[in-house]
Amino acid sequence: MLPRHHGSSYSNGKKHDYEEKTYSISPHRSTPPAARKRRQLLIRLGGVLAVLLFGFFVWPGVSILSIFSFGFLSSGEDFQLETVRYYDLSNVQGTARGWEREERILLCAPLRDAESHLRMFFSHLHNFTYPHHLIDLAFLVSDSKDRTLPLLSELLEQLQADEDPKMPYGEISIIEKDFGQKVNQDVESRHGFAAQASRRKLMAQARNWLLSAALRPYHSWVYWRDVDVETAPFTILEDLMRHNKDVIVPNVWRPLPDWLGGEQPYDLNSWQESETALALADTLDEDAVIVEGYAEYATWRPHLAYLRDPYGDPDMEMDIDGVGGVSILAKAKVFRSGVHFPAFSFEKHAETEGFGKMAKRMQFSVVGLPHYTIWHLYEPSVDDIRHMEEMEQERQAREQEEKDRVERMKKIKDQFADPNNQWEKDKTDIQNEAMKEKKAKEDAEAGTEKPAAGPESSAKPETPVGALAEAKVEDVTTVKNKPAA
Amino acid sequence: MGPARSLRRTNPITIIVGIALCIVILVFLLSPSGADAAASELRKANAASNPLSPPTSPFRKENEKSSNGKRIPPPVVHYYMNNVTTTNSPEANRETVLILTPLARFYQEYWDNLLSLTYPHELITLAFIIPKNRDGNAATAALQEQISKTQKTGPEKKRFASIIIERQDFEPPLASQSEAERHKMENQKARRAAMSKARNSLLFTTLGPSTSWVLWLDSDIIETPHSLIQDLASHDKPIIVPNCFQRYQDPKTKQDKERPYDFNSWQDSETARKLGEGMGNDDILLEGYADMATYRTLMAYLVEDNGDTTQEIPLDGVGGTALLVKAEVHRDGAMFPPFPFYHLIETEGFAKMAKRLGWSATGLPNYKVYHYNE
Repeated sequence: MLPRHHGSSYSNGKKHDYEEKTYSISPHRSTPPAARKRRQLLIRLGGVLAVLLFGFFVWPGVSILSIFSFGFLSSGEDFQLETVRYYDLSNVQGTARGWEREERILLCAPLRDAESHLRMFFSHLHNFTYPHHLIDLAFLVSDSKDRTLPLLSELLEQLQADEDPKMPYGEISIIEKDFGQKVNQDVESRHGFAAQASRRKLMAQARNWLLSAALRPYHSWVYWRDVDVETAPFTILEDLMRHNKDVIVPNVWRPLPDWLGGEQPYDLNSWQESETALALADTLDEDAVIVEGYAEYATWRPHLAYLRDPYGDPDMEMDIDGVGGVSILAKAKVFRSGVHFPAFSFEKHAETEGFGKMAKRMQFSVVGLPHYTIWHLYEPSVDDIRHMEEMEQERQAREQEEKDRVERMKKIKDQFADPNNQWEKDKTDIQNEAMKEKKAKEDAEAGTEKPAAGPESSAKPETPVGALAEAKVEDVTTVKNKPAA
Repeated sequence: MGPARSLRRTNPITIIVGIALCIVILVFLLSPSGADAAASELRKANAASNPLSPPTSPFRKENEKSSNGKRIPPPVVHYYMNNVTTTNSPEANRETVLILTPLARFYQEYWDNLLSLTYPHELITLAFIIPKNRDGNAATAALQEQISKTQKTGPEKKRFASIIIERQDFEPPLASQSEAERHKMENQKARRAAMSKARNSLLFTTLGPSTSWVLWLDSDIIETPHSLIQDLASHDKPIIVPNCFQRYQDPKTKQDKERPYDFNSWQDSETARKLGEGMGNDDILLEGYADMATYRTLMAYLVEDNGDTTQEIPLDGVGGTALLVKAEVHRDGAMFPPFPFYHLIETEGFAKMAKRLGWSATGLPNYKVYHYNE
């Protein structure tokens, strides 16, 4: 074979053995063949590396594998993703014994600055007897300034990681959404009349956002529960479910300090409609919201709360029109058909009361249990706090008074006790004096006949003090008066 | 040996040019698959680890039970709804769209039209609600066939993020779905009440925490502009409705023509208000019936030949054949009243309820979508 280098353009006269030489940056420099080979290898490796690096910068997300396979393997993992879901809604109607049919419940809890109540709420979660894996939890945390969110996540993580396989719940959603809440959450502004309408509309909005984000086609029931419920039966879900009603609420009371009567109806939003209230509603502006428990709107409605008999049948039902939001169990189909918490004035009501009204409008059954009671946490109102301060002051004043009285009595006693002793001393002294005088007189009268009578008479006044007090006082006074006379 | 030796002797510049060329070729080869990879990354990132999850996300099938047969509790999931946006450029902001369709009959044209939408399919979730009767079963079967074609064997780019099929839990009030029967006035209230319930059931069980837009698209809408979602969203309105027309063949001239179809998009009139005041609480006002003249301004008749497709008009009532709604409107509680709400029902009642919540409706008289002709 002819050596190709004869046809080469490198004909500067210097003879090189081109056959031994492969690619080199400076072909005219003569280097030992071994070193040349090594350098060539390095350069080649460098080139490959450069291409790879370039590739990484251009397609940062693509793995090396997909570059070499030209993307043919990259979609392999997608075959494991399920993208189609099929649900038959007639399987999730909700029945009286849902736990036997494995019916799923969505538990909704709207939260705002609720850090202090969370641990209490989780103790309730631990205690529910309804199978936990059939309950999905959804929380909406809005406009919170305290540690509600981190504490909630922490407690939920603990709950899901619980050793006891019966403890963890189903799907858990924490939804963060701020509505720019302007209304204060403290007890006083929360319950002031003027703020009610806009406050209730904001609450309604939060509830609707929570429900629409968390309701799934596999839910048969929806349970709304406030976190500030202090005491409730562990079986509350089954107890309410057994009635098989579209919407059902228990009676909500709260414990009170003894000076306020020990207990009190709390939730006044569960009521039956009255003629007076309907007539009142007709006179009001389109955007007005009737709220219960305020003198401004005298509705004369029968309230679920006031009908409670502590010894009444807990299964007794009562048809109601307005609903309180502390603890509502509703069939999911109620929410599916569009019933929600109106964030506008619906038939002159908003939020949970409007929810009751709307459910009724769509011919769903809305029921309250007057004698089945759960207990809301007692948070003293500003009035209560003022009253309690007054009572505290009164109590302190009374205590102070008592202390003063005791002190005074003690002082008086002390003051009188001293003279008493002094009196006694004086008395004996004087008596002794008197005795001595008498003796001296007798001695003087009798001369030196009875010298042994001295000790006898000196012991005598010490012994009869108590028994002869009366007589002696007479004695003493007479004795006392003697020197003066 | 010959070609190898010739390579050895080439100029270094040639080699560098060669490498550059190789890179260019690689870029050319890989760049389309790079965009696909981003989309498939998004699909994977949105996938839930448990079947108990928002239906708008795909999920991984395993994981229900661990190797020792013990149930693995679902994870605690955070959703940041402050970050769910609805802007006039949804594609750039990766906003998700939920297309909701109450399905009575399945039309292939409807499905083909869906597939040809240019909005990125990995951002679209489809949800259907189908009655549980004979027609419904047939429609479900046809739908499922098309779904498996698209989602399993179709090109990845055409696949939708997630698809939900729901079977209705109540019977439709009318046995017949024929056009003439459906439009009889006395049947309207019951029919539209049932329709409202179907719409609400579909909406509130599929909305989930991450949806930005809800597009209501009836199963008999067989033709829309391919950029329907982008076009409607670019107006940045809480509720926006295109004009719904129907193509037909003039029986006399045998010419293709089109006529207005949906009369539920209107501006209110004094006459209608007065009519409403004189009605009982449970009566409803209906549009398009001669014995109830409302004198409302109907969007269907405001169309101009070659008019500006971006022209907007305010509306008081909307139709539901095609309707784009910002998800927050529904989240605030605006639903389709299955009862007379201010004497309005279904989509018209929806516009009124949205208005009570502070959201207004807009119509595009010259932007057309087309209804199937029976």
